[in-house]
Amino acid sequence: MPLHPLCERAMSVFLQSMISGILIGGVYALIGIGLTIIFGVMRVINFAHGELLMLGMYGTYYLFTLFHVDPFVSIIIIIPLMFVFGALLQKGFINRVLAAPEHNQILLTIGLGLVMSNAIMLAFTSDYKILSTTYSSSSVKFLGLSVSTPLVISFAITAAITIALYWFLLKTDTGQAIRATAQDREAARLMGINVKRMSIIAFGLGAALAGAAGSLISPTYYIFPQVGGGFTLKAFVITVLGGMGSIVGATLGGVLIGVAESVGGVYLGAGWKEVIVFILFLLVLLFKPSGLLGKSNV
Amino acid sequence: MLTDSLTRPAVAASRLPTALKIAAIGAIVVGLFFLPRYVESTYALHMMILIFINVIMGSSWNILGGYTGQFSIGHAAYFGVGAYSVMMLMQYRQIAPWWGIWVGVLAAVVVAVVIGSICFRLRGPYFVLASIAVAEIFRVTVLNVKGVTNGAEGILVTEIPPLTIGGTVITDWFSKVPFYYAGLVFAILIIFVTWLVRESKLGYYFQAIREDQDAAHSLGINLTFYKNVSLSISAAFTALAGSLYAVYVGFIDPGTVLGIDVSIEIIMIGIIGGMGTISGPVVGALVLVPLSEALRSNMITDALMKAGVVGEESKVGVFLKEHLSQAHMLIYGILVVIVILFMPQGVLGFLKKLTTRKARS
Repeated sequence: MPLHPLCERAMSVFLQSMISGILIGGVYALIGIGLTIIFGVMRVINFAHGELLMLGMYGTYYLFTLFHVDPFVSIIIIIPLMFVFGALLQKGFINRVLAAPEHNQILLTIGLGLVMSNAIMLAFTSDYKILSTTYSSSSVKFLGLSVSTPLVISFAITAAITIALYWFLLKTDTGQAIRATAQDREAARLMGINVKRMSIIAFGLGAALAGAAGSLISPTYYIFPQVGGGFTLKAFVITVLGGMGSIVGATLGGVLIGVAESVGGVYLGAGWKEVIVFILFLLVLLFKPSGLLGKSNV
Repeated sequence: MLTDSLTRPAVAASRLPTALKIAAIGAIVVGLFFLPRYVESTYALHMMILIFINVIMGSSWNILGGYTGQFSIGHAAYFGVGAYSVMMLMQYRQIAPWWGIWVGVLAAVVVAVVIGSICFRLRGPYFVLASIAVAEIFRVTVLNVKGVTNGAEGILVTEIPPLTIGGTVITDWFSKVPFYYAGLVFAILIIFVTWLVRESKLGYYFQAIREDQDAAHSLGINLTFYKNVSLSISAAFTALAGSLYAVYVGFIDPGTVLGIDVSIEIIMIGIIGGMGTISGPVVGALVLVPLSEALRSNMITDALMKAGVVGEESKVGVFLKEHLSQAHMLIYGILVVIVILFMPQGVLGFLKKLTTRKARS
């Protein structure tokens, strides 16, 4: 039965927003996975997570403007750089407060985040920067819907990174050691796992994922020093939604938040989409604080 | 100078006889009351007003965060409710701020009870995250309901009606002096309330909850109820600080009174001096306000240039002059990192440790 034209249009708007939600949700998943690995291994909530993403964005921006490196190629450089940066952060700062009261850990990461965003502001001013590639505003046709090209590419790369990450965590010795540390730090230590090293790797990994996410969204977002704050909050929502410490949960949580934002933005206006996300967040916190998937299962 | 009153069964401080302590505090208070008579500089008064507002912010957070152990990173919500209440009433309803302030306080308490009843079911990091989410919901909502709050443009009030009692004009609000006294009175009030709380049964309940929730619960302390009481007191004074700030500055927008930066500044005042002490927030305000003012007004760059560290015409000098004032949060960040890593008990705790170490050796 043919649909009424109005109905068809409504349908296509809905599908359109669903698809862009899923695509952007993939990047959100990367951010959330990074945060959840850090939390899983160290029980530290990283309030500087969005700032790590912001550093990735700036790195990509300057690689592009100075050396004409394509933003999607630049992740090859950004990922190892951010990994080292994260590992250093963990060794120099986070490691010292692992046994400290929770609020001190939180404040330390807030402080580190402030230092990062303001150092960038000092170095590159607070001007908004736009990274425009030749394909920034182009789109591809997909099942009769037009989807932004950079979003499609970034989703494909995100999927590849996520698969590689799962393989690393499930199949390699180091990955298994990280998961063991996340499950029970003390038991892992007794089993001869170098817990300190795992923490460094975990933070490096978290930072690398945040940095990669930053690279991937840099063609579609404004780049400015304070961009991280919003992403930090989003990362919290994603990880809580999936259950703190759960990687599968963070993956699903990322996609869910992407869709909620995108669909909510279309039907309630862009200004309200954040409110939807936070209300969703509060509801999950209140009624299922262990996350939608229940117990943590890194 | 203020360390005396406060450190309780403490080491060096407790040797001061109580009478002397009371006399010292009394002298400071009297001195502060007469200060505007002798200090003409509006800049000095401006700094004092900012310090008073910061003391109120930090102290009120301290009741919840320091004494009750509930770490809220969402106090901007109450600060903003206070600020928006008083400004909206003044701008759209022509209600004078000295009435509006109490509406703001009342609104903040109502909001606090609602938020508290919901969020205090959560503990630890979950409570922290919920408190941020609530503040963000407020910010985005205020940003979006343009018809009521004027959205991102904010509210500007240029004229405050003169305060008259029985026909005589008490003040027309043109000088900074009335704001100075308002700030001073409220700052003294919150310090007194903190002392009152600490010395009362209520304070013991709060601290029991901070030390061990489950133990407190098993002793029959109604956790949610007392956390809500603590939050209500805290929110009321935070709103007071917010409305005082709004009226004093004359302009608010969602970012400056409801942003997460506000919440973080409030916490920093509370922790840099030392959490869970009466004088902690006072020390925090005395450290942070002059520091951020010095950065904002480029005093540090000027000093560096005068000292000859950086040349006035040099690239670095020009760069610092242009940008350092914007990046005052950078110094905040560095300060937080240093405090957490090297003085987790705050500046006061650090000093105490130093003095006891000296006394021992």
